[in-house]
Amino acid sequence: MSLSPHTTPSGNLLLGFLLPSIHAAPPFFTQQPNPATQAIVTEQWSRLILSYARHRQLFTVRVEDAEVTGGEWDEILRNDRINRRLRSSHLAYILEQMAAKNQLVYDPPKQSRSALLYWRTPEEWAEVLHEWASTTGQLNTILTFYEIIEPPVPSPLSGIPMQILRKAIHILTKTNRAQIIAVADGEGVRFLPGNAGK
Amino acid sequence: MHRLGGVGLAAFDRQQLSQRSFAELSSELSQAQVDLLHAQLDQFRTALVRFASTHRDSIRRDPNFRHAFQQMCAKIGVDPLAGPRKGGWWAEILNLGDWQYELGVQIVDVCVSTRERNGGLIEMGELVRLVSKLRGVAGGVIAEDDVIRSIKTLKPLGAGYEVIDVGSGKKMVRSVPMQLDEDQAVVLAIANQEGGRVSEQLLVSRKAWMPERAKAALENMLLRDGLCWLDDQDEVNGVAYWVPSAMHWDE
Repeated sequence: MSLSPHTTPSGNLLLGFLLPSIHAAPPFFTQQPNPATQAIVTEQWSRLILSYARHRQLFTVRVEDAEVTGGEWDEILRNDRINRRLRSSHLAYILEQMAAKNQLVYDPPKQSRSALLYWRTPEEWAEVLHEWASTTGQLNTILTFYEIIEPPVPSPLSGIPMQILRKAIHILTKTNRAQIIAVADGEGVRFLPGNAGK
Repeated sequence: MHRLGGVGLAAFDRQQLSQRSFAELSSELSQAQVDLLHAQLDQFRTALVRFASTHRDSIRRDPNFRHAFQQMCAKIGVDPLAGPRKGGWWAEILNLGDWQYELGVQIVDVCVSTRERNGGLIEMGELVRLVSKLRGVAGGVIAEDDVIRSIKTLKPLGAGYEVIDVGSGKKMVRSVPMQLDEDQAVVLAIANQEGGRVSEQLLVSRKAWMPERAKAALENMLLRDGLCWLDDQDEVNGVAYWVPSAMHWDE
């Protein structure tokens, strides 16, 4: 048996996701009793989860994703070619480790079954957000959060969870590159020109 | 009774004289032999140097030729690695000393970078493949032999690099200082035959071990040495152990 990388058919996306060859190794799906070995397994899984989330623009991962089939995480949480799957207890452990490294935050807070993935940190999102506003000529215009999350023209920010968006805007307000403004149906934001260094 | 020296006092002198001349002759003879030997050795050395330098390119390029040369040296009792200078003959005559050290550094590089995956034990073929990849050369330019020789040059560093024979022509390189007991060597040999997978049941049926012995060997490798990974979703035995260094990775 040879362990090789494998490209997923990956649904509606043109490009499949290249699974690393370790994903074809049967023991990769077992929580290791040796802490040093488990550290490697955790590291590999964290990397895999973040890169897959980025590839498919997924923001949420739930412990349940390892229990039920048909979810958007199936391609990585299970490998039917070798008949292995990640157990939910193992996934819960990996998520806990990722939370400690600020690779995700539990959402809602004070539970550990569901989390928002930081395949970009809020700081990185702040830059993407400001860049998008300025390249699309929307500086000094008041935008509602909804217009950012579901823009008429798809953007890198389409579908960004409200919590991450809020954090990113908050970071921009600290450098005077955004202002939060109350609008009729809630909150809006006005982006201002400025440099990241300010 | 006839005596060579005859009788009488003068015979003593005569005997001493002849003894002295015999001694002279004998030391002359042995001196001549030593000289001859020196001359022969010089000649041999020159011949070997000439051979090595005329075939330097072939020796450096062709692993088979290098191996043959190595074997020839070993047969006539010359260790190419030993010599008055650091690096020995290889360095002096073939400029291979640096090459060998360089290879050593690359072996360390591969061993260290794969250590977290394989627990410090790598299959020889895999090591040769990864070192070749690192050097950007095609397969076959670096032979197992070169790797073994380079690992010898690493010995003074005390890093514990060692080549282990796991039977049926398979060799593995160990890059962490640990003791591999006999049972572990058996487990490694089976893992190599099985593409990395071993189980208690497999050891019991193949080696007629008691289940306790098989379990102890596997658990030691798993928990103490980190040489194998656990798989608790095994279809055949429920629980299996995988030795990453014996698995075939394509990347």
